Amino acid sequence: MKSTIYSMTRRDALKSGLIGAASAGAWLAGLRGAFADDTLANVKKRGELVIATEMQFPPFDISDNGTYKGVDRDLIDEVGKELGVKVKYLDLPWTSILPGLEARKFDLCIAPVTITKERMQRYLFTLPIADATAALMKRANDASIAKPEDIAGKAVGGQKGTSQLAQLKAFAAKLPKPVEVKEYVDNNQSYADLAAGRIDASVNSFPNLAYAASQRADTFAMVTPPFGTPTYFSWVGRLDDKSLIDAVNAAILATEGDGRMAKIQKAWFGQSFDLPKTVPEPQL
Amino acid sequence: MQPQVIAHSLAYLTLAAGMTIYVSVAGIVLGMGLGFAVCLARVSGNPVLTRAGAFYVSFFRGVPVLVQLLFIYYFLAEFGIDVPAMAAAIGGLGLASGAFQAEILRGALNAVPRGQAEAATAVGFSRIDIWRRILLPQALRISVPPLINEFTLLLKASSLVSVVGIAELTRVSMNIASSTYRPLEAYAGAGLFYLAINLCLAGLGILAERRLSAGSAR
Repeated sequence: MKSTIYSMTRRDALKSGLIGAASAGAWLAGLRGAFADDTLANVKKRGELVIATEMQFPPFDISDNGTYKGVDRDLIDEVGKELGVKVKYLDLPWTSILPGLEARKFDLCIAPVTITKERMQRYLFTLPIADATAALMKRANDASIAKPEDIAGKAVGGQKGTSQLAQLKAFAAKLPKPVEVKEYVDNNQSYADLAAGRIDASVNSFPNLAYAASQRADTFAMVTPPFGTPTYFSWVGRLDDKSLIDAVNAAILATEGDGRMAKIQKAWFGQSFDLPKTVPEPQL
Repeated sequence: MQPQVIAHSLAYLTLAAGMTIYVSVAGIVLGMGLGFAVCLARVSGNPVLTRAGAFYVSFFRGVPVLVQLLFIYYFLAEFGIDVPAMAAAIGGLGLASGAFQAEILRGALNAVPRGQAEAATAVGFSRIDIWRRILLPQALRISVPPLINEFTLLLKASSLVSVVGIAELTRVSMNIASSTYRPLEAYAGAGLFYLAINLCLAGLGILAERRLSAGSAR
């Protein structure tokens, strides 16, 4: 039987179906390519920079009765002014942010990300926006811990999968007595267990802990100095968005040059400090 | 425990509860439409429709809502299909709920004794009248308790839509926990809101049961 389009055999039908699906896929991929042109140009055309963060990371990202506040908010607003665009904020769980960035649901992730070698392969980091060096926090009434080394033989908690927890484990291995390390889904649980006396210290980045201790000074106190290798928090963009990251970096440098960064730091950290003017080589 | 944390965040929690109610009700309504259609397809006797309905049910009942939401919002974007967050949230909840509601309705239809439809045919009822006067009224009444069950589950599953950036009740209570460093109070507040909403749902269920069983009370 002659095989025309109207009298296809089953196999022909299957084949044409597959070709159809493949060409639809190619068309969609092409469509995506068309969207994937320069993000910076798109942002300027839209007049709006869409950022995402998780508003559960004080003092960087806080949702205070529904109003977005924090170091990141103040700084990204200044960056928006420098770029001449409005900023739109999305609140996403941390686990959705990096997939969302890759799926082009927004332009930039301003959740503070610790710069590590592994992450540099997948994302483009901005200039550092804050210190991320690992430190410890204890109960305010606990006199047995005066310096980081005093956690020997005690229990310490931290958030799973963070660079700070990894640094704690390395630090603890060198102490004379073993440290019991407890891993939590998020830092709030670690703080709650610290307050409840189930652990003796919580590990996190210095600025996060310093802010928590200042908010609940009756319960928590800092253990100084920070024990970790100096590391930094940056924001991240997609690898192919170099023009956007360059523009954001120029804006960050501008806020450092005219004292706006120092003002934000004083407001949230109680003191100002200098940040590297280039993206530092990760030590971790 | 500092109850004033809940009091301080009451407006924020209330707004979030409104969002939870909104996505849940929209998901329930979408699920009802889909569930009704899929149930009809499954009992239609048409082999293609029956298979399609069975496939729908096994897919959307078998894949976790969280995975469906991530798929709709993030994976489709890989192909240039940009689904807005709210559409992804309602769509994800509705598609999944449709599968469960279809099965609840089908079960209820099957619970109506076959003899009734046969008897109605024998005395000359039309097919439409059999559905309208005999099958549906009884099936609806039977399906109310499991449907309320399903709505309650959906309301609680609506906490998952935070993965696409919707500020619903659970998400907002986590925000409050982290900004106040008072997790217990924030989650207790959210729990009370869920309980209140679900009690209202249960109340609606009792009303619906009463109405539907008028004239057949035992």
